[in-house]
Amino acid sequence: MKDISTIIIRLTLACILAGVVMGLTFIFTSNAKKHNEHVKEQKVMASLLGYSKNHPMPESMAMHEVYRYVITKDANLTVGYLVPLQEQGFTFITIDLDGRFLSATPVEIQPQLVIDENERQKAIATRLDLDPQFLRYADKTIIVTDQGRRQAYLLTGAFPGFKTFISVMLALDPSFTILGLEILEHEEDPGLGGEIVQDYFKNQFKGKPFTAIKRLEVTKTPLPDEYRQALEAEKSGISKKEITAIQEQYKDHDIYALTGATISSDAVTRGTKGIVRKFAYRIAILDQVIQGQNIAVPF
Amino acid sequence: MATDKSNMQLVVNGILNENPIFRLVLSMCPAVGISTTMMNGLMLGVAVLFVQVFSSVTIAIFKDYIHPRIRIPTYTLTIATWVTVIDLVLAAFLPEAYAKMGIFVKLIVAFAIITMRLEMFASKESVKASLWDGIGMGLGFMAGMMAIGFVRELLGMGTLMGYDILGFKPLLFFILPCAGFFVVGLMMAFFNYIEIAYKKAKQA
Repeated sequence: MKDISTIIIRLTLACILAGVVMGLTFIFTSNAKKHNEHVKEQKVMASLLGYSKNHPMPESMAMHEVYRYVITKDANLTVGYLVPLQEQGFTFITIDLDGRFLSATPVEIQPQLVIDENERQKAIATRLDLDPQFLRYADKTIIVTDQGRRQAYLLTGAFPGFKTFISVMLALDPSFTILGLEILEHEEDPGLGGEIVQDYFKNQFKGKPFTAIKRLEVTKTPLPDEYRQALEAEKSGISKKEITAIQEQYKDHDIYALTGATISSDAVTRGTKGIVRKFAYRIAILDQVIQGQNIAVPF
Repeated sequence: MATDKSNMQLVVNGILNENPIFRLVLSMCPAVGISTTMMNGLMLGVAVLFVQVFSSVTIAIFKDYIHPRIRIPTYTLTIATWVTVIDLVLAAFLPEAYAKMGIFVKLIVAFAIITMRLEMFASKESVKASLWDGIGMGLGFMAGMMAIGFVRELLGMGTLMGYDILGFKPLLFFILPCAGFFVVGLMMAFFNYIEIAYKKAKQA
């Protein structure tokens, strides 16, 4: 009896100690980590659109963030979008599952606060007179415009990989051709599934038109050398013209799987396919509603 | 029981006499799975080095308070804590290094070599000796992983540390997971052969 009580006490103490150490580290590092993630996201967005430090985005371009919510009240599912308005402020549009417009409610929230998930949720919930637990944040889409004309969509999404979720960011042009794919976070095995971050894999998605994406599969045939060189343009240093020609040639081709990591390759392919297809469906409905209701949006 | 070895001997012991991969045959999962390139070996080696040193020192400090019946859960808890702390600190303050090493650090929690070293060494020896043993084991693991990575990367992809050496790919087989077993086995045989030959030469 004495033995078991010492065991219990010491193990409890050890757990508490470990918990305190981990908790303190988390408190001290969480802000810096969030900041790093934000900086990384900005960098990824710019690079997906083809801009860098030396070649910054023109002033006339703007990014508009649209947040999608799912509302589950009275066992009815409705979809809500928080969209920015032309002049100022935001409006929350709700749409039922058949794509019919339900309501549009203006939401007052400071532009600096809208990026914070909790603040945003609170603002919408109070305006709609809704218990926040019925309001679930789904994802955000960034619509990039140049002088009011749509240039690209930036989508974030996550899907299950070989081990845990893989979170990605995708850039699409207005006709849903993929402009670029970037892996933001993953825990695949290094050297195998971890290769999804390499140029020769992720760049295969670049330039795939919507018609090809809809029936995109993974093929286990080896990656042709010329295609690999075009995908790794920075390393091989071949000219832009050749790259475009080779990419054009392979644009309807399936994705070449990574050696020894078919599951990871398949997960990324399916995930990307899913994100693009669902987005194309949703944006069509949202556009229809915005047009039908004459909501003045900046995109 | 205190060790009579000097600090330097402890470090060398970890790299040669008790090399985690070739002599103790521990942590075979990463040795087979991840050692496809030299860079992977180096990254995982650095991550293991830090976790091994921190965990060894922690256990050596608290060894008198750990009840023998619950030592394994305590070791696991210690390793998990250090892995989490290193992961969080890297992500917050060294985002560049984290981008490369993040996935390796998270793998470490279940590594046999660290638990085994805590059980065999740190829970019996002084803090100072445990520190040096941790460094030796970490370096030994890193050296072993890099040696396997060297063979597999050169023969599988024709590159070393990402630089093209051969200009062609000799045998793709070597970067497949099963080839890890062959490479580890053959290298183990090779090192044993050298040792036997060396002893024979010494006797003669």
